[in-house]
Amino acid sequence: MNDQQLLRYSRHILLPQIGVEGQEKLLHAKALVIGAGGLGSPVSLYLAASGVGTLTICDGDSVDLTNLQRQIVHRTESVGALKAESARETLSHINPEVKVVPIRERVEGERLHALVAAADVVIDASDNFPTRHAINRACVRHRKPLVSGAGIRFDGQVSVFDLRDPESPCYACLFPEHGEADDVRCAVMGVFAPLVGIIGCVQAAEALKLIIGAGEPLAGRLLLLDGLAMEWRSVRLKKDPRCAVCAAP
Amino acid sequence: MKITLKLFATLGDYLPEAARQKNELPLEVAPSTTVAEIISRFNLPEKLVHLVLVNGAYVAHDSRLAHELQEGDVLAIWPPIAGG
Repeated sequence: MNDQQLLRYSRHILLPQIGVEGQEKLLHAKALVIGAGGLGSPVSLYLAASGVGTLTICDGDSVDLTNLQRQIVHRTESVGALKAESARETLSHINPEVKVVPIRERVEGERLHALVAAADVVIDASDNFPTRHAINRACVRHRKPLVSGAGIRFDGQVSVFDLRDPESPCYACLFPEHGEADDVRCAVMGVFAPLVGIIGCVQAAEALKLIIGAGEPLAGRLLLLDGLAMEWRSVRLKKDPRCAVCAAP
Repeated sequence: MKITLKLFATLGDYLPEAARQKNELPLEVAPSTTVAEIISRFNLPEKLVHLVLVNGAYVAHDSRLAHELQEGDVLAIWPPIAGG
């Protein structure tokens, strides 16, 4: 690290759980963020500000005026621009040292597998079950840690599936594929702006902890946030021995 | 006996209008009322009953329908959520 970097990251370096060594890990890390919306905004802002070396941000949508109430990585002048590009533009001003790779599409299939395989940590900030299941399958196959968050209205959920550990539950142990009802989108349900901010910030914290190796990851636990009461609950998650995705054949 | 029902995210729509401000509803129910009876009383679709918690503690999928509620219990039900 040069003098400017030592200054920029000094408040991380001062933390004994991070130090120069932990910050070096961040500078060399590759994070894959899928979704540049309500969750992906705080995730990408904090990962970029923290100096995560390479941020790959996937989103095929364009910025809409209705996004700006909560998707804080985008700005009014970005309406109409691709979200991946808009995010890259904002992040380049926050921390020009970070390499942001915008993927201007809804990733799936082999492309998704290649992106997951190249990442140190995967952050699911997407907005629908098919994408969430595809990301989970890729993380199970490539044994990558998955930081998963979701939110709607005033309520949110967040967990880590550390798929480097064969005993870890996967996302499908919690939400079996084809098991869930059609999800209703923010467009009709509404979402409280800071709700996705809170959940996204927890995702960012967990992604940074996984990269650094600090503390105890939120693995095997699902946090549930009741935003109206501002209460958190924690539910223990277990691997489903009959899981169609991660159970041994 | 008195219990409190809390329905989260999309399930909030199954509460009476007046209860939606906090997404919770105080209820007077018969002793030993089960979780299944509450689910049926509010017509909660099976696919939307994803996680069940009583007093903040998770109730396992296999045993939750028959789980008998006690005076003062807070029953919380979460649907699957995917928004982001």
